[in-house]
Amino acid sequence: MADYKKTIGIEIHTELKTKTKIFSNSINGYGKTANSNVNVIDLGYPGTLPTLNMEVIRLALKAALLLNCEINKEMHFDRKNYFYPDNPKNYQITQFETPIGVNGYVEIEVNGEKKKIRIHDIHIEEDTCKSIHYKNHSFLDFNRAGVPLVEIVTEADMHSAEEAMAYVEKLRELFLYADISDCKIEEGSMRCDVNISVSKTAELGTRAEIKNIGSISNVGRAIEKEAARQINLLESGREVEFATYRYDEKNDQTIIMRVKEAGNDYRYFPEPDIPYVVIDDELIEEVRSTIPMLASVRREKYIEAGISLLNANKIIQNRTLSNYLNKFLDSGIDLVIASNILLGDISAYLNRTDLELDDTKLTDAKFIDVVNKLSSGDLNSKVFKEILDDVMEKEQSLDEIISSKGIKIISDPTALKKIIEEVLAENTTSVNDYKNGNTRAIKYLMGQIMKQTKGSASPELVNKLLEEELSK
Amino acid sequence: MSKYLDLSILEINGLLKEKKIKPLDLVLEAFDRIERNSDLNAFITLDREQAIATAKELEGKEVDNLLFGIPIAVKDNIVTKDLRTTCASHILDNFIPIYDATVVKKIKEKNMIIIGKTNMDEFAMGSTSQTSYFGAPHNPWDHNKVAGGSSGGSAACISARLVPLALGSDTGGSIRQPSSYCGIVGMKPTYGRVSRYGLVAFGSSLDQIGPMTRNVYENALLLNILCGRDDYDLTSSHRDVEDFTRLIGEDIKGMKIAVPNFFVSDIVSAEVLNKLNEVLDLLKKNGATVDYIDIDYIDNAVTLYQIIAMGEASSNLARFDGVRYGYSVENPVGIDELYSRTRGEGFGEEVKRRIMVGSYLLSGENAKTYYTKALQIREAIRKSFLKAFEKYDLIIGPNATTTAYNLGEGLDDPLKTFLDDILVIPVNMAGLPGMNVPMGFGKGHLPIGLQIIGNRFDEAKMYKLAAFVEKELNLELDPREVR
Repeated sequence: MADYKKTIGIEIHTELKTKTKIFSNSINGYGKTANSNVNVIDLGYPGTLPTLNMEVIRLALKAALLLNCEINKEMHFDRKNYFYPDNPKNYQITQFETPIGVNGYVEIEVNGEKKKIRIHDIHIEEDTCKSIHYKNHSFLDFNRAGVPLVEIVTEADMHSAEEAMAYVEKLRELFLYADISDCKIEEGSMRCDVNISVSKTAELGTRAEIKNIGSISNVGRAIEKEAARQINLLESGREVEFATYRYDEKNDQTIIMRVKEAGNDYRYFPEPDIPYVVIDDELIEEVRSTIPMLASVRREKYIEAGISLLNANKIIQNRTLSNYLNKFLDSGIDLVIASNILLGDISAYLNRTDLELDDTKLTDAKFIDVVNKLSSGDLNSKVFKEILDDVMEKEQSLDEIISSKGIKIISDPTALKKIIEEVLAENTTSVNDYKNGNTRAIKYLMGQIMKQTKGSASPELVNKLLEEELSK
Repeated sequence: MSKYLDLSILEINGLLKEKKIKPLDLVLEAFDRIERNSDLNAFITLDREQAIATAKELEGKEVDNLLFGIPIAVKDNIVTKDLRTTCASHILDNFIPIYDATVVKKIKEKNMIIIGKTNMDEFAMGSTSQTSYFGAPHNPWDHNKVAGGSSGGSAACISARLVPLALGSDTGGSIRQPSSYCGIVGMKPTYGRVSRYGLVAFGSSLDQIGPMTRNVYENALLLNILCGRDDYDLTSSHRDVEDFTRLIGEDIKGMKIAVPNFFVSDIVSAEVLNKLNEVLDLLKKNGATVDYIDIDYIDNAVTLYQIIAMGEASSNLARFDGVRYGYSVENPVGIDELYSRTRGEGFGEEVKRRIMVGSYLLSGENAKTYYTKALQIREAIRKSFLKAFEKYDLIIGPNATTTAYNLGEGLDDPLKTFLDDILVIPVNMAGLPGMNVPMGFGKGHLPIGLQIIGNRFDEAKMYKLAAFVEKELNLELDPREVR
C-alpha cells in the first residue's frame, strides 16, 4: 500500500533530573519504597500550597534552548482539572497558555538525509502518582506525584517509522547529554505517545494515539502495525476511529484503550497559587552556558580524529568516558589509541571494580603517558594489561610502575632483529612452511619470539619486523 | 469564677508577668464562658485537654511577649495539627490534620493557647454561617439573629467575650461582615500580607487570614505576629514585618478620606447611612477632609466575585474525593461511584451549587467569556482603587447594607448571600486591606460597622483611623452589659 502516506506527531514526557520535586521539597528519586518520598503537598492535603523548585525552571529552560525554542519570558502555570485517583488534587499543575518554549525544531538524519522536525511547544508540569492494580484493589505510590516533567510536542512532521525513531533517539541523546533527564524509557522517566494517521490525499486521515510506548524500537513497530491496521480498515471500506491505543509487545499489535470523546474539557485556568515567573536574558545566557558539547558535535570530532563510527558511538553512549576523552581533544595524543584503551581495558577495569574514573589514580598526565608510550612502542598492550591495576590504583608515575615491576620493554628494532634472526635460524621448517603458503606458521614463529623476549617486546613491532624478515 | 478575660491584653499580660495569675486561669475561664454560652454554637471543636496541658507547660516559661498565654480561637478552615479541622463540612468531619498552618505555628511560637475551632459557613461559602454542617452560630446581641459569615463563629466568640482573640478568613468579606454584625474589630489584611499555607483554599486569589478582636489595639497586636514572608506560600509578601500599633493614638488632622458614591447609594439602609454620616462629621470636625469619589466597575464586583471565587473553588474543592482523607462512602462500585457518592453526601447544598456553577464557568469557551473577562475587569477595579489612593489616605464606608438579620432568612435565596457582601467584595477584588470597626447601633440595638479600606500594605494607617473612631465613639461593645 505504498500510496498511503503516514503522518506522525509525537508527545514525549521526560522527568527532569532534579534533587527535589517541582512543588515540594520531597526527594525526586526512582525505585524507593512506595510512599517514602512524600509530604503533605504531594498528597494534596487541604491547605497546602505549591512551592516552586527553580532547578526545574533551569532544566526546562535548558531543554527549550536545546530544542531551538522561543522562550516565553513571562510565563505562568495553569490548572488542568480532571478527576483521576492518581491525580492527588484532581487538578494537575501544568503550562497551557504560556509554555516555557514554543516554535522550536530538532534536526534528525535518516538514510543520510537531514530533516527538521518542528517543536510546537515544550511545557513544564507535575507527574502523577503511580497506580498499581492487584486483584480487585488499586494502590497508589505518591513517590512519583510531583516529580517534574517537561512535555515536548512536535508538529505532525514525521512520515515514517524511521523518522519517528530517529526523532525520539535524537531527543534522548540531547537530554541525556545536557544532563536534563535520565531518559530511561523502561523506568518511565521518558514516555512516548505517538499520534498517527494515514491518507492517500493531502487531507489528513483520522488519527489514533498510541500511549506510553516502552522503547524506541517499539515506537517503530507500533507505527508500522498501527499504519497497517488503519490501511486495512480503509481498504475494506471502513473508517478509522478517533481513539487511544497501547502497543502490546508480546503480540506485536496495537490494542484499543478508549474511544476519545470529542473535546475533553479540562477547565484550564491560570494557577493562582504561583505568581508569574520571569525569565530574563541573564538567566537564559547563564543556562545556555551550562549546555555541554552535544553528542552530534562530539561524534564529528571523534571521526575527524580517526576513531571509527562504531567506537565513536560507543564512547558517546558513555558520557563520563566521552567527557574524559574530550579533555585530550587538543592535547595532540593519539585519540584512536586513547579511545581504544578507554573502551577496552579501562572500561573493563571500571566495571570489574565498580569504580568511576574520578575514583581512580589515573591522572591526566599518566593517561597521556600511557597513550604516548603505546603509540611509540615503549609500552605494549600486553604489558599495559599487566600493569593496569597499578596504573589505576597507585600514585606512582607510569615509568615508576614499569621499573618497579622489573619490566623491560624492548623497543629497539636492532635488538629485536637479532632475536628474530636467531629464532628463524632455529625454526627453518616453519620458515619454509610459511614461504610455501602456510601463513599460519607465522603465529608459531611469533610465539617463539615472544617467548624469547619474555613478553617485553611490542607484538605490533615484532609482527612488523618478522614480516619484513620473512619476505626477504 | 474569675473575670480576667474582661481585662485588656495589656492588663492580663501585667498579671501574668507579676505571676498573680497563670495561663491556666485564663484557659479554664475561657472554657467556663464557652460552656455557659454553648447556645451560641460558636465552636465546632474544643481542645480542652491540650489547652490545659499547654497552659500548664507555660507555667515554667518566661512571659516574653504581650500575647503570651492568651486564649485564642481559630476558624475551622485553618488546619491545626492533631486537632480536627472540618471546614464545617460533613466531608471533613473526621479530618485530623498532620501539620499546622503557618499562622498556627506563629501563634504557638508566641505561646498563645488554642482553645478550639470556630463555626463557619461550610468551606467559608456563605455570609451568615448558616451553611455550616454543625448548625449556625448565633449573634450574641440577639440570639435570633445571624452572626454573619463566613467567620461567624469567630465573630460571635469575640463579641460574647468567650476569648479575646480569634482568627478568621476573608474571601469576599468573611471577616469584616460578621465583625460588623457582631460589633467587633476585624481586619482583612492586604493579599499576601499573611501566609495562606494551611488555610483550606476557597478562592485562592482572594483568600486572606486576619485577626478578629474586641478592640483596635489588640487587633494590631495580633496582626503583628501573623504576617511575614512564608516560603510555603509563593503569594506571600517579602515585606518586612512592622509594628501595626505604631500610629495608634496619632492625630487624624489633615487625613484625606474618600467615600465611594456606591457606598452611600440607595442599596444601603437609612440607619446605616445615618451612622456613617455621623462618623464623617466627626472626622471633618477633627481636621480630616472627606470627598465622594467613583471607583470604576465597583458595582460589578459581586458578579466578578461569583465568577472568580466559584471558578477557583470548583478546582480547589476537587481534592475532596474520598481517596486520601476525609469522608469516604463504604463499598462504592468503581471509582466514579466513590467520587459521586462521597461528594454528593459529603458536601452541603451551597457548596455543591458553587462547585457546579464554578465548573460551568470554566468549561470550554466559558473560561474566556467569563473567567478571563472577569480577571480583566478585576484589574480595572484594582487600578481605579490604586488611583484613588494617589490622592487619598483611606477610603471608608459601611461594611454591610443592614444590621444582622433573622436566622433562617434568605436560606431559599442563593443570591441574597452575595448581595449581603456587596460592600466588602470590592476590597478582595483589588487585593487591598479592609477592616471593620464598630460605629454604632441600629434598631434592636444591633451593631453597625464602619469599613476602612487602605492602600496595599497600609494597615498601620487604617488602625490609626480605626483607633480614633473607637476612642471618640466610646461605644459599649460588650453585649452582656446591654442585654
